[in-house]
Amino acid sequence: MGARVDRRSFLVAAGLLGLAGCGSDTGRGGAADGPLRHWYHAYGEDGVQDAVRRYAAAYPGAKVEVQWNPGDYDSKIVTALRAGAVPDIFEAQVKVDWVRQKQVVPLDDLLGDTRDDFVRTLLDSQTVDGALYGIPQAIDTQVLYYRRSLLEKAGIAPPRTVDELVDATKRLTASGVKGLFAGNDGGVGVLTAPLLWSAGLDFLSQDGKAPGFDDPRAATAFGKLRDLNSSLLLGAPTDWSDPGAFVDGLAAMQWTGLWNLPKIVAAHGDDVGVLPFPRLDASGAESVPVGAYSAMVNARSADVVAAKAYVKWLWVDKADHQTEFATAFGAHLPARKSLAAQAEPLRDGPGKEIVEFVTRSGRIASPARWSSRANTALSDAVSRIARQGADPAGELRAALEVARDEIARLDR
Amino acid sequence: MTRRRTALTFWLFVGPFALGLLAFTYVPIVWSAYLSFFDARDTVTPTEFVGVANYLDVLTDRAFLDSIGTFTVFAAFIIPTTVALSLTLALLVNQIRVARAFFRSVYFLPFACSYVVASLVWKMSLFSGVDSGVANTVLGWFGGESQAWIGTVDPPLYWVVLITARLWLQLGFYMILFLAALQRIPEHLYEAAWIDGAAPGWQTFRHITLPGLRGALIAVLTLNLINAYQAFDEFYNILGDSRGYPPFARPPLVYLYYTSLGSGGQDLGRGSAGAIVLALVIALATLLSGRLLRRAN
Amino acid sequence: MRSVARWTAVAVTAVLFLLPFAVLLREGWSALGQVFDDRDVPFVLSLLNSTVVAVAQTVGQVVLCSLAGYGLARIPYRHAPKVLYAVVATLLVPAAVTFVPAFVVVSSLGWLSDLRGLVVPGLFSAVNVFLFRQYFLDFPVPLEEAGRLDGLSRWGVYWRVVVPNSTGPLAAIAVIDFIGSWNQFLWPLVIAQDSSTWTVQVALSSLLTAQNPRIPLLFAAAAVSLLPIVLVFVVLQRYLVRGVAETGLSGR
Repeated sequence: MGARVDRRSFLVAAGLLGLAGCGSDTGRGGAADGPLRHWYHAYGEDGVQDAVRRYAAAYPGAKVEVQWNPGDYDSKIVTALRAGAVPDIFEAQVKVDWVRQKQVVPLDDLLGDTRDDFVRTLLDSQTVDGALYGIPQAIDTQVLYYRRSLLEKAGIAPPRTVDELVDATKRLTASGVKGLFAGNDGGVGVLTAPLLWSAGLDFLSQDGKAPGFDDPRAATAFGKLRDLNSSLLLGAPTDWSDPGAFVDGLAAMQWTGLWNLPKIVAAHGDDVGVLPFPRLDASGAESVPVGAYSAMVNARSADVVAAKAYVKWLWVDKADHQTEFATAFGAHLPARKSLAAQAEPLRDGPGKEIVEFVTRSGRIASPARWSSRANTALSDAVSRIARQGADPAGELRAALEVARDEIARLDR
Repeated sequence: MTRRRTALTFWLFVGPFALGLLAFTYVPIVWSAYLSFFDARDTVTPTEFVGVANYLDVLTDRAFLDSIGTFTVFAAFIIPTTVALSLTLALLVNQIRVARAFFRSVYFLPFACSYVVASLVWKMSLFSGVDSGVANTVLGWFGGESQAWIGTVDPPLYWVVLITARLWLQLGFYMILFLAALQRIPEHLYEAAWIDGAAPGWQTFRHITLPGLRGALIAVLTLNLINAYQAFDEFYNILGDSRGYPPFARPPLVYLYYTSLGSGGQDLGRGSAGAIVLALVIALATLLSGRLLRRAN
Repeated sequence: MRSVARWTAVAVTAVLFLLPFAVLLREGWSALGQVFDDRDVPFVLSLLNSTVVAVAQTVGQVVLCSLAGYGLARIPYRHAPKVLYAVVATLLVPAAVTFVPAFVVVSSLGWLSDLRGLVVPGLFSAVNVFLFRQYFLDFPVPLEEAGRLDGLSRWGVYWRVVVPNSTGPLAAIAVIDFIGSWNQFLWPLVIAQDSSTWTVQVALSSLLTAQNPRIPLLFAAAAVSLLPIVLVFVVLQRYLVRGVAETGLSGR
């Protein structure tokens, strides 16, 4: 069937309707001399927004406008990339689909001799088919924070297996305090990956050619989230990424980001302990997820060259900005080894321990080949298992099917 | 006036609107039907014809079927509830003599409020999971334990949140419809019934009021039915968050939004097929309910 | 006895209906001052966008749809019934079902993140045309004929005779359109990608679904967003009630 209606013939039709003439397919027209548009998701830490606006204003090469995006940022980026030239620069983690659709441009030439200074696994995670599409901005990780005093009072040792975690969560749940807070969705969003790793599994197989959770132990692992469900804090005013629930004492333990370490230590002082996500059994492993929002350039930007030059200036050349961005507002690990030494809050105490977790058992949380549709299918399945008590094996079979389709599609 | 002159005048009046309707209703429908037969991932000008594959995809996609099923049940619940409550409100307002306009305004006021603002109040205050939430405070007075309303899936307490929000927003609107219809029922019918010895109350309601409301009832039912399947705003804002939308209570439009525009895949072929199936479902439901209504009469 | 029960029911319901507004004010009161200098979301700009969109859409809809309604009701063009049929047929397709394809059209026109994309597609309301046609069918013919005798053209009759004598129905539909436009969410969510074109509902929603909502500020912003619409509601309620009662078709 060779029927083709291309865009031009539509525009001709639209022109007949008196509608064209003012339209182009590049979103906002994207005049090459307009400002560069730079999008960030909304960081929860105070001061980040002021800082990135300050960096943008300081750039001598062009006028840069920063847009702050609270809400469902991932959906927004996907739609914006499809739609046109805005934003020119954005932070995200690369997806193979974007590369296949030629929506982002390779950035290898920006690194120069700094390439070896970036943490290798981060660069790898933003690389598709040998080309680098994102410059890592800072390393984020998530850990289990707990109140030492509450565990001691209940006579519980820091949990080292998933079963111990379930047990501790149940026993720490008392009137007015829940055992664990892992997000208002009952941990579905943030614990899916650590649970897979706890069973020695992953989203994708080693070579990335098959789903990595075609194993009955995946069902066992997600079943544990169901066991946890009744002792989790749900309906908190802020979500997992904010330390509020833990700081206010609504939960004895919280799974949240390294970035909240300063606020948590300020609230609870020495009473704070940190742990990686425990292992399910002997064949699994402890883990902490490692992610790095990376700066990318929209291939349909009206001025790709200018956009790339700005990214190079901000995320390769301006080491002082990068250090401040990573360490001054919340705690993040700098993405470059030479800057890591300057990360003040990470030199001792829980911060130091977390750095060790990352080195020892950090795992990439959002592989480029793991598509958003596959991810939706898996997280729907986990949600039904954990929150509605659905049969884990059956749910996972359906998710596996979607994941296989998606992998096949990427390789077509 | 010549025929041509008439035609010219007609198009002078109707033309601008007709062009717009063509461009923003007819073209989209046709284009959508076209896209639904193509692999239109990330593109609006696809080249790969896939036959009915997109239709098979959505019709075997559990998420889509769930959304249609859930919202059929939702419609079956919300429609009678809305009709009963808004009619009750209308009867109440119609009967009071003092401050009638005031109460009418109070019940109607939520019509001015957007679903987004209502979602905010419901999510963050009325049904917030903390002890200080309004619903939990009331529970506390009666010795009940605090609930995580939106976070509790088993039993599905989130429906309490969604349904009360929708009722609050729409009852006043339908009440106005019923009120207008009530006031159109001629007074002499009631007088005649009274003379004939009909007891005020149920009998007059059954034989005079209800038949007089027939037109309004049909309007309320149809609007409600279409709106139930088109639910989006409060669902997206109450249950959705920065990571997307959970797999339950997912309205067809939320499914279409994530499938064709959101993080779910930018698949316009599949989204278009889903939109067309949804349109058919709504048409079918409207037709069926009309049939049922006629039989009931 | 019965009237006591009735009054209790009326009063309790009224309290329940007013409660959400009270909550909004109570929670937002402390942050009311910060709403206009918040930087997470361009709130002032979004209010401005909403105003532009709602006003343009209301005016455009009323003008376009009343013209079309009049033409369909009064001009004896032989194909008019077919045109009317084509208009009414679109009522059977639920508006929200066409949002995906309409998005496709608007994005092809380059109207994403553009106020045109927010305003123009919403101007062509078949419902309004239908309502206006019904109304104009009953418009007194002698009035129009008097205008014709004074030498006015159709166009002149419309503007000098019909419109001045139809302010009630025009206002009724305008008020409903304005509220609907101010409160719409799905379409602006899809079209306004760039924060410079966010409407106030999109701005509020991004704050509401954010990871770390700042709650008092959010309530204050919502209260501010409600102010203009409550004003319209209170001042023009007479027309609003009439519009809803007579048309009943603009339900959400």
